[in-house]
Amino acid sequence: MKFGLFYELQLPKPADKDQWNPDDERRIYHEMLEQVELADSLGFDYVFEVEHHFLEEYSHSSAPELMMAALSQRTKNIRLGHGIVLTPPNYNHPARIAERISALDILSNGRVEFGSGESASEMELGGFGVERGLKKAMWEEATREITNMMTSTPYAGFQGEFFSMPTRNVIPKPLQQPHPPLWVAASRRETTMVAARLGMGSLGFGFETPDELGERALEYYRLVREELMPIGHAINPALAVLNTFMMADSDEEAMRRSANGPAFFSYSLGYYYNPAVGGKHPPGEFNVYRDFLNRSSETAQMQQQRGGFLSPEEIRSEEPADEVQKALYRAARSGNAIGTVETLRKTLLKYEEQHLDTMIFVAQCGDRKHEHIMESIETFGKHLLPEFKERHESEHRKWRAEQLKGVDFPINSSI
Amino acid sequence: MPTPKDINDPTLREKVETAFAEMRAGKGTDAVRTLADSFLYLLELKPALLQEKIAMRNREIPRVMRWPALGANIKLDSVIAGKPEIEFIRERFSVSEAMTYYQFVLDEALEKNA
Repeated sequence: MKFGLFYELQLPKPADKDQWNPDDERRIYHEMLEQVELADSLGFDYVFEVEHHFLEEYSHSSAPELMMAALSQRTKNIRLGHGIVLTPPNYNHPARIAERISALDILSNGRVEFGSGESASEMELGGFGVERGLKKAMWEEATREITNMMTSTPYAGFQGEFFSMPTRNVIPKPLQQPHPPLWVAASRRETTMVAARLGMGSLGFGFETPDELGERALEYYRLVREELMPIGHAINPALAVLNTFMMADSDEEAMRRSANGPAFFSYSLGYYYNPAVGGKHPPGEFNVYRDFLNRSSETAQMQQQRGGFLSPEEIRSEEPADEVQKALYRAARSGNAIGTVETLRKTLLKYEEQHLDTMIFVAQCGDRKHEHIMESIETFGKHLLPEFKERHESEHRKWRAEQLKGVDFPINSSI
Repeated sequence: MPTPKDINDPTLREKVETAFAEMRAGKGTDAVRTLADSFLYLLELKPALLQEKIAMRNREIPRVMRWPALGANIKLDSVIAGKPEIEFIRERFSVSEAMTYYQFVLDEALEKNA
C-alpha cells in the first residue's frame, strides 16, 4: 500500500469574528508547502489537492495548479496529484487543462497524477453556469478530449455537445507518455465501477471500510480485465481511499489533537453539498465554523464522534444507508487513522489485507494545528511508512500484476 | 462477481447484454434507453420492489428512487401510483452515464434474484 496526503485547504473563520485574520490564507498555503516538503523527504508517495471554488472555510484551494507548480520546485519524489481538476468546460476550457497538466508534468519531471471530476455544490455549479443534470456528460466529453489533446500532433479539433474548437497543436506535451495517470473522484460504489470500466484510478471519497474495500478491489480489477472501455490512451488501474489522520504518543492525545477537524470537514462538506442549504449560502457573510460550533454544542459528544451535517436524530441513529450520507458520517468519526503507531498499524493492515493500492490521509482540516500535522507526518514517515513500502514492493505488486494479467491496453500508473 | 450471465430471466438478461454491447460501441444514448427499458421490465418482474422503502436524510423514500437522476429520471408520482415511468429530460447521454445506469440495473437485478 502506498500513502499520500490530501488537501482541501480548509480555513474555518475565527468563531468570534465575521472574517478571517489578514494573514490566515497566506499561513495555510505556506503550511501546506512545509507539510508536503516534509512528507516528500520521508518518502510519502502522493499529495492530492482539490479544486474548489467559492466554498468559504471548507476549501480555499481554487488554483491547485499553482500550489502544484510551487511544490514541483520544492520536492523531489512525491507525486503531485490533482484530486481533482474540474473538467466541465465552464470551469476550465479543456485545452487550458491539457496545457497546465502538461506544463506541470514537465516542471515536475513527470510526477503528475491527473484526477478529474465535476463537483456537486450549488455554489460552484451556479457560479460557473454548469447545469447539474449535464455535469457528468460534460466531464466525460472534456476529459476524453483532454487526453486526445495531450497525445495528438496536431489535435484535430472537436465539435462536441459542450465545447468545440478548431485544429490546433496543444502544447506543451506531457513528459509522461502517453499522458499522466488518470483518476476520477468516486464517492459511490457505482462510480468506482465506472472508473474501472473507463480505465481510471478511483479516488475514493467514500471513506470505505476494509470489508467494503475487499469486495470493491476484486470487482474493480475484474472489470479492468473484462469490461475495459478506456477513456484515455493509457489506463491507471488503482484504488485509493481517504482516511482522516492524526498521530501522537497516546490515542487520547491523538484524539485531542485531531480536535474537531474531521467533524468540521464533514459538517462543512455536508453544508455546501446539500443544495437546500449550501445553495443559499450568503457569500462573504456567513460563518460556517460558528454555525458548526453552535450546533455541536447541542450534541457535543456525539458530534465529536460521529458529527457532520446530520441532524441530532441522524447522529443518534445507525450508519445511514445512502452512500453520500454514509461518507459524511464516516468522515466525521474521529477514529479512522487517528492514534498511536500501534493503533494505526492495526487499522492500516486491515486495508493492506484487502489489497488497497493507496491510502490518502486527510490531515489538514478544521482547526487542527500545523505543528501537530507536521509531527504526525514525521511519526508516520519514520515508524510506519517503511514497513508498508517494503510489503508494497514485495507482495502487493505481485498481487496487482496477477490481477492485470491479460490486459492488453497500455498502462501508465505509479502504483 | 456480478455479470449479466447471472440474471435468470432470459428477456432481462438479453436487454442488459444489449445495453453492454451498446456501451462498448460508444452508444451511450442507446444504452441508457435500453437500461431504462430494462429497469421498467425488472419492476414488472419484481413488483414488490415498488413497495420497498429506504432511509434518506431521516425520512423514507421508495427504494426505486435510487435510480440515478442523470437525465432519464424516474417519476415519483408514477412510482407512488404503482405505474413507474422514466422521463427523458435530455436526448443525448454519455457512455459514463450509461455505465452508471448499467451498474444500477445489474446490482438491482442480481440482488432481487431476477
